[in-house]
Amino acid sequence: MHTSPRELAQALKQEGYLLDEETATTLFLSLYLKKPCLIEGPAGVGKTHLAIALAKAERRKLIRLQCYEGLDITKALYDWNYAKQLLRLQLAKADDWEEIKLDLFSEEFLLARPLLESIRSEEPVLLLIDELDKSDEEFESFLLELLAEQQVTIPELGTITSKANPIVILTSNNSRDFSDALRRRCIHIYLTYPSLEREISILSSQVPELSEQLVLEVCEFVAKVRKLPLQKSPSVSESIDFACALKALQKDKVNYGDLMGLLNVLLKYPKDIVKLEERLKKWDSELKVRMD
Amino acid sequence: MNGWDFLRVINGLRQASIMISSEDVRDVQICFDRFPMIAEKQIMKALLIRRPQDLIMFESVWRIIFDANLLGKADDAESSTRIINVEDKNSPGIGGQGVGRGFGGISLSNSEGYNGSKDLALKINPAKLEALMNKKEAFEELVKTVLADMNYYTWINSYDLAYQRGTLTEEEWYAHLNLRTSIIAEIRHQVLALQVHQENCWQPLARQHFLFKSLSNLTDVEKNLVKSSIRKWTRKLAVRLGQRWKSSTRRGLIDIARIVRQSVQCKGLIFKISYHQRIPRAPELIVLCDVSNSMAPFVEFLIFLISCFKQRYRKIRVYFFIETVWDVSDFIWDEDFENIRQKITSWGHKISLGFSDYGAAFKELAENYLSNMSARGTIVILGDGKNNYRSPQKEYVAQISERVKQIFWLNPLNVEEWNDPDNIMKDYQPFFRKAYRCRSADDLQKIAKDVF
Repeated sequence: MHTSPRELAQALKQEGYLLDEETATTLFLSLYLKKPCLIEGPAGVGKTHLAIALAKAERRKLIRLQCYEGLDITKALYDWNYAKQLLRLQLAKADDWEEIKLDLFSEEFLLARPLLESIRSEEPVLLLIDELDKSDEEFESFLLELLAEQQVTIPELGTITSKANPIVILTSNNSRDFSDALRRRCIHIYLTYPSLEREISILSSQVPELSEQLVLEVCEFVAKVRKLPLQKSPSVSESIDFACALKALQKDKVNYGDLMGLLNVLLKYPKDIVKLEERLKKWDSELKVRMD
Repeated sequence: MNGWDFLRVINGLRQASIMISSEDVRDVQICFDRFPMIAEKQIMKALLIRRPQDLIMFESVWRIIFDANLLGKADDAESSTRIINVEDKNSPGIGGQGVGRGFGGISLSNSEGYNGSKDLALKINPAKLEALMNKKEAFEELVKTVLADMNYYTWINSYDLAYQRGTLTEEEWYAHLNLRTSIIAEIRHQVLALQVHQENCWQPLARQHFLFKSLSNLTDVEKNLVKSSIRKWTRKLAVRLGQRWKSSTRRGLIDIARIVRQSVQCKGLIFKISYHQRIPRAPELIVLCDVSNSMAPFVEFLIFLISCFKQRYRKIRVYFFIETVWDVSDFIWDEDFENIRQKITSWGHKISLGFSDYGAAFKELAENYLSNMSARGTIVILGDGKNNYRSPQKEYVAQISERVKQIFWLNPLNVEEWNDPDNIMKDYQPFFRKAYRCRSADDLQKIAKDVF
């Protein structure tokens, strides 16, 4: 357990994740209060990566539940092993039914899914519920018991309370709003694109072989691109890819007139690429005017 | 922070519609006690703010209570001018534009900081601002008045022109846009702080919540929040039994066949009397929207609400009208509202002068569309009722009301404006079952519960 936000940020830095002071404080307080942490923000700002880095920094096993539309209890919490139950019935034809009945719904026939696995785990774990906004609202309501009490209820077995107090991290891309009940149970972090300085630090630490000048130019360029009205702004991972692509092509600076073909690394929608290509021409001519 | 200020912050946040439970208060106190090295503001922000949009409210409450640079704090310093540096490190400043000096009350000017850097300073004279505030306008109008007084609009126009002429680089343009946002945010905050001070309560802040703001003044983010809320309400209403089913004690007709079937399973013994399941009749909804310019923001949300309800209603017809009626039921569901807005504009230009004529619209509806409406239909009219001194032609509304089950009227104007001379609400009143004010998301929520 870390004793201050700075210590937590330092531990995360060692795992390759740079966190600003404010976010580190919020995360630190959520860990101290043993409350789930809901991380929201646009795609590609490092929400999932933060959870992974935190698991490493806290030396906890990561259990991940990827949410999607239609996710239900049998995929997230538990299911009964029907094949095994049938085998048990086949083998115990002569046994007392009352006994078999109890036996069939015992832990032996229970298939633990990520949520149950994290609750029953003896060792410290970090439960990452990723992209919760993709799941249905029923599933969100179902999570309330787990988030508030760190327990789950299985009708046939009763209530199972967590043994090792898992750290719970929920992430969301804001594709839908959550209920007040869910928000009330969590500490909220909103991650957005990093500042220029932080992005420079991230790129320098993630790809140390890049020259300082190239890192600076890439970060400035990406920051400029993010100001454009695009369908999807470039994420941090895309700016890293972009810098690596420049390096691979042995380019040591960002030249506006010489980026065609490289933009696919940075942007994912054809419309956005066309828009950026137009802007690049404008920026290039602006630069030439300034140089003159 | 002393206990009194702490309670004021909690109270302010709660009044501004931020949910704070006793458990949250306890958590904050624990963290204050356990981590004195962490700033109190940071702890409260981390533990109490759960939506990005609530951050603005938090900052406002915090500044109103603790910021000494606020107007409400010092009544004795009316003659002094407060200078606020607008936070924007990339700002190019106002350069040689030479505008934005204002009229001595509130102004924008370049300030040479002690480190030689050029910052844009917002000079505010509290007395001048208070004088502007005395105009008793609505919040948005007040902000505009203050901005106009400081020559903000002239200043931004000069930048717009510079950008169009190409004398401003794109980078400088974006920096300027950021600066605009900061200035507006600062002015909004100052006006809000003064309103809170004048009214001596947090109500002005509460009115800035997206649920209570006028639908016509919402930002894009707030529009999405309202739509998200509408989705939630309709979902709740979809699983709720209609009022007519709840209040009814009648159990329906005895289902003999079912009783026999069940008794066969129990060796011929009858344990339970079964009744025929009551099947709700398919409801029918007819929506009439006035789409003159002033109504557009309200139409957008009503259409969105109706779209969310679409699965619950077997038959929904939507008609737009200004002077004539336009049946849009077939295309409205699949389109983005921006496209619908464009279609409305081109349709409006073709067939209308743009002035609403309710009488003519109801006449057309009665003559051409009434035969398609059944006696089970509910008509929802969205309109401000301003008839531009034309004849209300009440007989057609009467004819329609006789034909359908009920008519509801949703009006975005305040109730007191319904009696204006050119408003036909009073003429049509006998024919509709109920009229609602439909100005904010909160109103819309009440309507959704009541009508649908």
